[in-house]
Amino acid sequence: MSTATIPAGAPATLPSKPAPRSRPVAAFLSTYVFSKDHKVIGLQFLFSTLLWFLIGGLLALAVRWQVAWPWSDVPVLGKLFAQEGGQMSPEFYTMLFTMHATVMIFLVIIPILAGAFGNFLIPLMIGADDMAFPTLNMLSYWFMWPAFIAFGASFFVEGGAAAGGWTSYPPLSTNPASSPGSGMGQTLWLVGLTFVGVSSMLGSVNYMTTIILMRAPGMTMFRLPMTIWAMFITAVLQAFALPVLTAAGFMQLGDRMLGTGFFSPEGNVVNNAMVGAGGGQPLLWQHLFWFYSHPAVYIMILPAMGMVSDIMTTFARKPLFGYRPMVYSIAGIAGLGFIVWGHHMFMSGMNPALGITFMVSTIMIALPSAVKTFNWLGTLWGGRIQFTTAMLFAMSFVSMFIIGGLSGIFMAATPVDIFIHDTYFIVAHFHYVLFAGTAMGVWAGIYYWFPKMFGRTMNEFWGKVHFFLTFVFLNGTFFTMHILGAVGFPRRLADAYHYETFHHLQPMNAFMTWCAIGMVASQAIFAVNFFWSMFFGPVAGRNPWNANTLEWTAPSPPGHGNFDFQPVVHRGPYEFSVPGMEKDHLMQTDPPVAMPAVAHPAMAH
Amino acid sequence: MKRFAGIFWSLLFLAVPVLGVAVFAVAPSIDVWLPKDVSEHGSQIDGLFYFILALTGVVFIATELLLFWFIWKYDESIAKGPATYIHGSHTLEVVWTIIPAVVLLFLAIYQMNTWADVKMRRPVMAPTVEVVARQFEWRLRYPGRDGQLGTPDDLFLVNDLHLPVDEDVLVQLKSMDVLHSFFLPNLRVKQDAVPGMKIPVWFKAKETGEYDLVCAELCGWGHYKMKGRVTFVTRPEFDAWLERMYLEQEATQPENGEAMP
Amino acid sequence: MHLQYQPGLPLSRGKLIMWLFLSTEIMFFAALLGSYVVLRFGALVWPKPHHVHLSEPIGAFNTFVLICSSVTIVLALESARANKAGAAKLWMLLTLLLGSLFLGIKGYEYQAKFSHGIFPWAPRSRIHEKPDLYYGSAVRARLGEADIVDRLKVLDETTADKLSAEELRGRQSLSDIRKMLANPDQGAFDMAVVADQVMPLAAEGGHGAKDHGSSEHGGGPNDVFPWLKLPIVIPGGNMWASTYFLVTGFHAVHVAVGLLVFAIMLTWTLNAKRAGAIENIGLYWHFVDLVWIFLFPLLYLF
Ligand code: HEA
Ligand code: HEA
Ligand code: CUA
Ligand SMILES: [Cu+2]
Repeated sequence: MSTATIPAGAPATLPSKPAPRSRPVAAFLSTYVFSKDHKVIGLQFLFSTLLWFLIGGLLALAVRWQVAWPWSDVPVLGKLFAQEGGQMSPEFYTMLFTMHATVMIFLVIIPILAGAFGNFLIPLMIGADDMAFPTLNMLSYWFMWPAFIAFGASFFVEGGAAAGGWTSYPPLSTNPASSPGSGMGQTLWLVGLTFVGVSSMLGSVNYMTTIILMRAPGMTMFRLPMTIWAMFITAVLQAFALPVLTAAGFMQLGDRMLGTGFFSPEGNVVNNAMVGAGGGQPLLWQHLFWFYSHPAVYIMILPAMGMVSDIMTTFARKPLFGYRPMVYSIAGIAGLGFIVWGHHMFMSGMNPALGITFMVSTIMIALPSAVKTFNWLGTLWGGRIQFTTAMLFAMSFVSMFIIGGLSGIFMAATPVDIFIHDTYFIVAHFHYVLFAGTAMGVWAGIYYWFPKMFGRTMNEFWGKVHFFLTFVFLNGTFFTMHILGAVGFPRRLADAYHYETFHHLQPMNAFMTWCAIGMVASQAIFAVNFFWSMFFGPVAGRNPWNANTLEWTAPSPPGHGNFDFQPVVHRGPYEFSVPGMEKDHLMQTDPPVAMPAVAHPAMAH
Repeated sequence: MKRFAGIFWSLLFLAVPVLGVAVFAVAPSIDVWLPKDVSEHGSQIDGLFYFILALTGVVFIATELLLFWFIWKYDESIAKGPATYIHGSHTLEVVWTIIPAVVLLFLAIYQMNTWADVKMRRPVMAPTVEVVARQFEWRLRYPGRDGQLGTPDDLFLVNDLHLPVDEDVLVQLKSMDVLHSFFLPNLRVKQDAVPGMKIPVWFKAKETGEYDLVCAELCGWGHYKMKGRVTFVTRPEFDAWLERMYLEQEATQPENGEAMP
Repeated sequence: MHLQYQPGLPLSRGKLIMWLFLSTEIMFFAALLGSYVVLRFGALVWPKPHHVHLSEPIGAFNTFVLICSSVTIVLALESARANKAGAAKLWMLLTLLLGSLFLGIKGYEYQAKFSHGIFPWAPRSRIHEKPDLYYGSAVRARLGEADIVDRLKVLDETTADKLSAEELRGRQSLSDIRKMLANPDQGAFDMAVVADQVMPLAAEGGHGAKDHGSSEHGGGPNDVFPWLKLPIVIPGGNMWASTYFLVTGFHAVHVAVGLLVFAIMLTWTLNAKRAGAIENIGLYWHFVDLVWIFLFPLLYLF
């Protein structure tokens, strides 16, 4: 692997590292804290979300502890939130999985994809010096802080954090009398959500503007790397879906604090307390929530799909198979994603005829996903695979996404969903797409772009150990959930063993919990590798992986303004192993060369 | 050494379909599988489950094996020469769009009838029982001798649902406070109870026996213990039971209206 | 290093991001209006505009004001483009004033609701959904409050010649109400009569119809004696109030944000250089206007 490839079209003498940032201490704040530089903001997002990832993971462990050994003393955490003698109370359990999911979704996966990678990569990969609106960009990070504080503080208020599930279905969530967590905790949850929403909204309009108007000369839309396409379409999803959740959040706040009754039916009394005069509809919230949250699941996976596509081409040394179909399928998933929300509501009491239309659209979403899956396989076919850590994570993304996607088909089938709805089958499904899928994609991205972020590469050996352990333990934890679901084992139960039907499943749950413990423990390897490599890893050149896209022409890490020369794009991002070339890759900025005849012109770009 | 790494990683990816299939193959034999089905429509649902399991199973095995095979075969350390320079294939794209489209469309249409049976073709009959969910119990209300709900001779019970076997049963599902879900695993029945709505649920049991009634929608801290039992008995037994319960209620509770505000 | 870019859309960054921002806003209001429609058509009853003191002429006038302000902001833009900073400032000032007038009228309308106790539910709301026994006891409770008792006493003792015809009628219906409530075996029917006495609008052709179009319906003791504040019956009134304040409230917030920006821009020199900024805020303003044009018929006319 060559350490420093000087990009073509660049001046002959390039500093191998950016000019050292020797600024007075007073400028520290403006450089690292209130920076408007997209790279710094991206890293701020990265560090914050990784921290929350850890918290979310620990919450998951506490969840697992209770599921495996109900009512036994919780080690460590039990002392922190000591009820009587370190044993978990059922209301604490509901709070745990609610906040686990909230943290993972709103403070980890969404902001790490759009906030961290989106911010860091978009300007670099399209050849821009920064985002279109740097100040807005900075604000989008700082609007996360009220959310961090609101979610964080909610653990310590009276009644504890929100406990209505991450879906916060009313009337449980609107009536403070219905559950301890539906007091202050739920209000903070809504406040936090609103800020996450504002942050994402600011981010998404900024990303779209940047991608539309700030591409390097020659970078047509169909020469954009898949990562950028995915980020672009994700931004569209955010912009159109999120305001609906924000509106719904305000309505729920109104129900809780102002006496409105949007989601409370006529005369609804919970625990002798009433919210609003009624006349509202509990199902309205579910419609509004899922109108956002179903597109949101694609917000939580499309960027990872884009990154995985880029990483797989680089390490298979082969052009992406079916670039345009890949783009169209992302758009197709996003488009269909807007009309399937009802599949979360098959059992909700919604009109069953409506269920049929949602069933059909949901099943059809497998089509663009199929196109993506087969094109990834096509990309590997005939490649020259290099087993880097990033590549392993990327390939495991594909492997795991297939599992998570296919389990979606069971649930999309309305009659089958009757049985498996709200069982661990669902839990298996979304952990496969979210953790085994997206989080693996995120790790692929971290290992892959780490050199660009910090100028050094991560340790490959320990990276692979991390991959191996995570891969094994995650399957141990989550695969078994499918068959638990087949028994009908319900989710969100603090203790299901008193049911005759589920009585015998405890040993299996204990096994899963041991795997989960192993999985979280393995992350220590990652954390150490990450921080150690930041300071002591081998120095990476501009293009350590011999990749093609624009970010690899900039210094590692890029200085302010990103590029020390004007990037001009001459071709698509995936020209690997072009016959007759001495290098096995042609960067997007390499000067034009006579290209061999393309086998399938329709697929060329 | 490099080849060893390639073998190692490809085998790891091979383990996914192998172990995945193994888990599903072993599960039924260790009794971690669909619980016994005693309903009439359940076999349709289970059939569909198996059908999708087979369908997705084939897709799963095929794609995961391909993935393994490509990783094995195109390892940089053994594959000679540069990678194949190809940008895609129009024909392939069409093929792998059309085939899944046909399969999926078939699946979508195939299942509609079952759904309609279970959720749309409501039998024409008076409710057998009204189930009212509340934090954290199932309140049951049987029509008394007059066969009508809402009359003074109604029978009120909690958590102990008895139903006749071998005949259509219509449950009128309500909630008093928050959302709950009426889940009978052994009958493949699930329906959320929504405050402000009256939702009909119907099914027909084929066997007598006693089974779990689970609350499957988060309803607060006591969600986990919102447990009921459903017992299917023959019609004469059922009638006798109703009668006995009614007499018991009369004896203990002169004002039966109190049980159900 | 100053980078060059591939030509994208023929729009400035500012304008593009404004359009994108507005599309998120469209979704926001679509959610609110969608909820309104769902709740309204899912409701068993929905009050007529005059039941809840909505006045079509005022609403129509406010619509007119807002449309005018959309015109003036366009004129401000035209002037700025022609580099006539003074004229631009004048038009913008006018826009600001019209916008403020809109908010003022809205505030007046809100005030009319508040003074009638039309809030979304307790503790401030005086709306009851049905004239049931709960309603009766609420009226009785109100009449039994110490300060009301005092005032009623004063009212009862006032000689007829000191009272206007209105007040006389009010006093009469008040005493009818108290008589009906005093009757020990009243049923729901009596409560309906009480409710109608408190706020005479249930009967078509009554006060409601006569005063159709004015925000005052007059006649009920509540209107004659503003201190009385008796609970009222408006079927569907709570949900009406919830949705009304939800949609108009968020609209008003958007108007206020626009006004704030106008105020800031008034401190600038509005020459051709600022035309882009004026155009952007103008787009926003048109959007706010457009939302109102949806709201007005939905809330006032149907
Ligand atoms: C990143 C997140 C993500 C992704 C990508 C998906 C993808 C899909 N999801 Fe999932 N889903 C969630 C996250 C996600 N989901 C979450 C978090 C929940 C639970 C929320 C909660 O209740 O808390 C959920 C719940 C959920 C439900 C509700 C279940 C219930 O509560 O009862 C349903 C039902 O239809 C569903 C379906 C699907 C489908 C059909 C897809 C499809 O997009 C999958 C398509 C992919 C494939 C099918 C695989 C690849 C294709 C092939 C290899 C081709 C060949 C295939 C065939 C011919 C079958 N999901
Ligand atoms: C992105 C989403 C996401 C992720 C990643 C996870 C991760 C995990 N989840 Fe979770 N989960 C949800 C989303 C997610 N989950 C949702 C939406 C629900 C539904 C909630 C509801 O019902 O309302 C849920 C519910 C849920 C349940 C069901 C609870 C119930 O219904 O009763 C369980 C039970 O086993 C569980 C377990 C786990 C486990 C063991 C992990 C593990 O994979 C966790 C592993 C964690 C780590 C591995 C941490 C790694 C840390 C680092 C990498 C940091 C390194 C640090 C630095 C470098 C600084 N989750
Ligand atoms: Cu009732 Cu859960
Ligand atoms: Cu979904």
